[in-house]
Amino acid sequence: MIVVNLDVMMAKRKISSGELAAKIGITQANLSILKNQKAKAVRFSTLNDICKALDCQPGDILEFRED
Amino acid sequence: MRYDDVILRWAKIATILFTAMAVVADVFGVIITKYIAYCWAGIFDMPRLIALIVIFYVGTIGGYTVLIPLLKMLNNMSKDKVFDRANTKLMMIITCALAGIAVDCIIGGFLWNGCWILSIVAMFMAVIVLSIRVVFVKAITMKEEMDLTI
Repeated sequence: MIVVNLDVMMAKRKISSGELAAKIGITQANLSILKNQKAKAVRFSTLNDICKALDCQPGDILEFRED
Repeated sequence: MRYDDVILRWAKIATILFTAMAVVADVFGVIITKYIAYCWAGIFDMPRLIALIVIFYVGTIGGYTVLIPLLKMLNNMSKDKVFDRANTKLMMIITCALAGIAVDCIIGGFLWNGCWILSIVAMFMAVIVLSIRVVFVKAITMKEEMDLTI
């Protein structure tokens, strides 16, 4: 399964959910869906914005783990 | 008012009218069944007449089980709750009720041949509702995926 490590990266960059949501232009509710592993898909544009805002690579946010 | 809203309103009115007709059929059930038995089916003995009355009333119960969920579904649609799991549940109830009516009419067919036609109509309607339900389930799944795409 694909795990979203967004909260880990957010803690490393010391950025709050509200701040990140405002930076990438999505609602806090959608950011929460992403953080809580409930998202079914992530748009490249959203991933691009997250990487830009957190100054990281997609691999830092997404991780593959055996079920 | 939009064209589809007009259709929805008329569909609701038609459903209410059909429900009223089912109520009237229930009230005058014995008279209607006697008319069918004597004039159309040629049934004059008491046991077969009672069996036909029972089949008739079981059929009207099926009718209510179709009409009430249909009215609920139309209400949901007028509230813009279209691709909702509640609607697929209602469609399943309607399909089961139609299948029940079909079985009831198959049994009635042994008493009066006219019931076979009603049975075929009920089965055909059940297949149509079931097919529409499949479309709804697929659309809901796609909508949920779209909603969870960030």
